[in-house]
Amino acid sequence: MQNTTTVPSRHLPSRTLGALALFGALLLPPVAANASETREPDEVYRQVCAHCHAPDKAVGPEITIAFPEAAWEARGNYIRNTVRHGRAAMPAFRTAKISDAELDGLIQALVSGELDDAPAATGEE
Amino acid sequence: MSTTQRILPKGVSEADFDAALARFREILGADSVLTESDQLAAYSKIMMAGDDADYIPSAALLPTTTEHVQEIVRTCNQYKVPIWTISTGKNLGYGSAAPGETGQVMLDMHRMNQILDVDPEVCTALLEPGVTYQQLYDYIKENDLKLWLDPPAPSAIAGPVGNTLDRGVGYTPYGEHFMFQCGMEVVLANGEVIRTGMGGIENSSSWQVFKWGYGPYIDGLFTQSNFGIVTKMGLWLMPEPPAYRPFIIQYQDPEDIEEIVDVLRPLRIAQIIPNAVVIVHTLWDAGTHVVRKDYYDGKESIPREAIERIKADEGIGEWNVYAALYGTPEQIEVNWNIIEQAFGASGKAKIMYGEEAEQRGGGFEYRSALMKGDMNLQEFGLYNWRGGGGSMWFAPVSQAKGSETKDQTELAQQILGKYGFDYVAEYIVGWRDMHHVIDLLYNRQDPEETKRAHDCFAELIDEFAKRGYGLYRTNTEFMEQVAGTFGEPLREVHKTLKNALDPNGILSPGKSGIRS
Repeated sequence: MQNTTTVPSRHLPSRTLGALALFGALLLPPVAANASETREPDEVYRQVCAHCHAPDKAVGPEITIAFPEAAWEARGNYIRNTVRHGRAAMPAFRTAKISDAELDGLIQALVSGELDDAPAATGEE
Repeated sequence: MSTTQRILPKGVSEADFDAALARFREILGADSVLTESDQLAAYSKIMMAGDDADYIPSAALLPTTTEHVQEIVRTCNQYKVPIWTISTGKNLGYGSAAPGETGQVMLDMHRMNQILDVDPEVCTALLEPGVTYQQLYDYIKENDLKLWLDPPAPSAIAGPVGNTLDRGVGYTPYGEHFMFQCGMEVVLANGEVIRTGMGGIENSSSWQVFKWGYGPYIDGLFTQSNFGIVTKMGLWLMPEPPAYRPFIIQYQDPEDIEEIVDVLRPLRIAQIIPNAVVIVHTLWDAGTHVVRKDYYDGKESIPREAIERIKADEGIGEWNVYAALYGTPEQIEVNWNIIEQAFGASGKAKIMYGEEAEQRGGGFEYRSALMKGDMNLQEFGLYNWRGGGGSMWFAPVSQAKGSETKDQTELAQQILGKYGFDYVAEYIVGWRDMHHVIDLLYNRQDPEETKRAHDCFAELIDEFAKRGYGLYRTNTEFMEQVAGTFGEPLREVHKTLKNALDPNGILSPGKSGIRS
């Protein structure tokens, strides 16, 4: 088993992990807990949203285009409602999938254009 | 009349439910027990043609450990509270993250999302139910492991444990997911924990490599069932091959499906073509990126002349076979010659790979990604074909014989046509069987169309059963009906097992038509 790769923990020091690993299969250590981590907005977008909403996918509408600051609150509410309730073919995403803190960060990054992934204009006519 | 009437589990008093909730909060912490309607809204979004009011949970529980799950089921037994278990909850078109019936408490396993072990030598993994394919894919890439996954079409946002437990399929040589599962940890309804296969032996090193263990093999009892809650699962991963060649074979006539299946069958059984091949109809191949109303805006099933226009405009066939070869370049060359000879014999097939295939319309790019286990959700483009968010997968099994395939295709087209729906379909080819997967797409915003879709699906089940064709899987709205097609003696066995393992009927009542 010396070449077995186990996921590094962000919660337990490696010394502790090594000791826990000796207990074997019935006492597998909890080595990769993601539930308590808050992912950055670009990571949530990459893992979940981009598969359908990135411009080269075109399954769902583009969602990364910046909105005027005056419309951030309204746009943010629309995104929040769509994520939590779904809309037509768009699935609903639970807090277990995208936490409230992650959704807050995602919304801010989307409305401000921070995640804009539209192809850059070439300037050619 | 109050518009905020409290939803309770069936047969549970308000006082008992409150007591159960209080205990759940002690076990999990208050933040992991959801009861407010805005917290529960995401658990009610469905795509199948059921009534929204039939799929509203009373609460949701978010455990993070096996011990949490043990304590939850003990509490459920005490207060007779029924729970409906989901993992990632992205079984879209089969019931999504909604309960089996209104009032059930959601047991949402998504936060149990630890990758417990990945062994690159024996190519195995041990996972919790909340792990997504994307999470495992990222882990494999970050650690530069030469291993491939086998995701179903929802890939990134779905997970290996839930998909395998529902006996889902993918598109690589590891496409039949339950075949590549090895070892489970299961919490039974009484709160006890068992490990299947070799897992019962303390310090066993073979839990993830030897499926059968000793004595009766029971892993199958925990798939498509409600006999226990799987909290860990082992699975086998495919080693990255030295070379990979995805290819497409196009046929232009509807009748060609017979030839395709009869030529393909021996190649598949002999493993010349090792992966879960798909034979994709025009409307599925186009539907991932073309909108129906651009070709036809009528209420009836899309007519033949419109299908022919799509084929011409998009450069796709009536039937489009996506398959791949894996191995050394020399192995691939040998097998490629066999395939060219077999499919080239009649002169009807157009066989393409590499640049020629990439330049053709249709789904070659995303199919190539899925057949090598990459994350890709392009198939969700199908939901734009008709619009309105309605989708149900009608998926009868057939044997891999051309005559039977032709019969199933014609029967499906006739029934769908009667109700004004389109034949958006593909066959996923196993070793000797095929999953005939039809996406019944409809506008869920339109009540009349939703009712029509419901009636259509019910008729499809009955008419296929009359000819001896059964479904491999279905959505929660039709589980009872589909269970009926498999006969009462089998249902009695299921019920006997249920009564023995879960006498209070607290685990996912109604799953696959099984109740205590």
